[in-house]
Amino acid sequence: MKDQITEPAPTRIPRLAAGCRMSQSADLGPVLLLPESMLRLTGPGPRIVELCDGARTLGDVIASLQSEFSAADPEMIQREVLSFLASLNERRALDFV
Amino acid sequence: MSFVPRALIAEVTHRCPLRCVYCSNPLEMRSRSDELSTAEWQRVFGEAAALGVLQLHLTGGEPLARPDTEQLVKAGRAAGLYVNLITSGIGLAEARLEALVAAGLDHVQLSFQDAEQEQADEIAGTRAHRTKLDLAERIRKHRVAFTMNLVVHRGNLGRLPQMIALAEELEVDKLEIANVQYYGWAFENRGRLLPTREQVRETIAIVDAARERLKGRMRIDCVLPDYYARYPKACMGGWGQGLMLIDPAGVVLPCHAARVIPGLTFDDVRSKPLRWIWEESSSFQRFRGDQWMQEPCRSCERKTRDFGGCRCQAMMYTGDPDATDPVCSLSPQRGLIDAVIAQEPVAPQWVYRINPSNTPTTVTEPRATTEPRA
Repeated sequence: MKDQITEPAPTRIPRLAAGCRMSQSADLGPVLLLPESMLRLTGPGPRIVELCDGARTLGDVIASLQSEFSAADPEMIQREVLSFLASLNERRALDFV
Repeated sequence: MSFVPRALIAEVTHRCPLRCVYCSNPLEMRSRSDELSTAEWQRVFGEAAALGVLQLHLTGGEPLARPDTEQLVKAGRAAGLYVNLITSGIGLAEARLEALVAAGLDHVQLSFQDAEQEQADEIAGTRAHRTKLDLAERIRKHRVAFTMNLVVHRGNLGRLPQMIALAEELEVDKLEIANVQYYGWAFENRGRLLPTREQVRETIAIVDAARERLKGRMRIDCVLPDYYARYPKACMGGWGQGLMLIDPAGVVLPCHAARVIPGLTFDDVRSKPLRWIWEESSSFQRFRGDQWMQEPCRSCERKTRDFGGCRCQAMMYTGDPDATDPVCSLSPQRGLIDAVIAQEPVAPQWVYRINPSNTPTTVTEPRATTEPRA
């Protein structure tokens, strides 16, 4: 599906788009390989991408991260996850099942 | 300073069913009998991954002209690489497409010559446009990233909106609008290919509007002709800094056109380890850093961004591979490029790309410039 993620419902199921996948580089660490480019993922980036597995809903992804990073403000986590996923969607690296 | 290669351009064959007038292959091509075997490529992909390469671009010629493309995809994936197939699409029957996807193909780049059949086939020198349209619809049904490569030039830029509409219709993920770069066969035909300044201005406006309209649906990359630029391109991201190309016979080059530079010896993967070629060989060292630079590059603040531009273009226009890329507005030889732009479009016969012969070739010192041939 080719739609934008500006205000995705929490029931939507995010996944990496076709031709986008995670890899591990010996010197760069976790990287997201994309058609003709790549993104180095840092901090919680690799974990967020891992949770977008095409099975969990967006609500599940956010709830999992909120429980894994329980010391952080849950609202901030939600904002950051949505903004991270929106940036991936804009690069055509993420879509919905 | 050490550099890590991130992408390998594997020209697995020079054979191709198309005869495009702007092909980036060298004028003297490798024959089939010179080509690396499946096992040799497999070893090379492993050596590349160990060096830090993440992405493999299988190209040619037409990579599907080899019977083992599926095995090459599988070998690339087994080495841990992201595998991109750059193809004309000719001869890609459904069973083969399925086999390539099953082998782990990540990304297909399908080239188009125009939105109109007649003009597209004139550029390709063969009837290919219809086949590409059929294939595009089939690719979209597979779970693989799909880019449409649109090569643009003076003759088709007037139809840019129709070409963007075609990309939308075919639902591609990415549209790459690439102006011809004037090397190889394109250099021979540059008099007919170079767009006008007005066309370049219009292109920018059309692409900006399309990007805005298609945001989140289709990415659009656009390469403008560097002849109209104020500063040169960071060719290949800097010589020997992040990219390498291996030709069908296993010769490792820092870029497509590197053979135009006289005096360089290029090593091959049959006789040397890839790591040695990347790290130690004289050809890869030749334009690393800034010791080779002349003024105005050497004291220019932009030298860490564009590395003095393209060494091959410097060679082709000034006869000196160490010179500032003549497209740079700071180059004392910028007039050479302005003279090309100022020329009335000449319309000789197209010089069509030829196919390599079936006998082993001796690659001789290529010509830096050539007269158009009929």
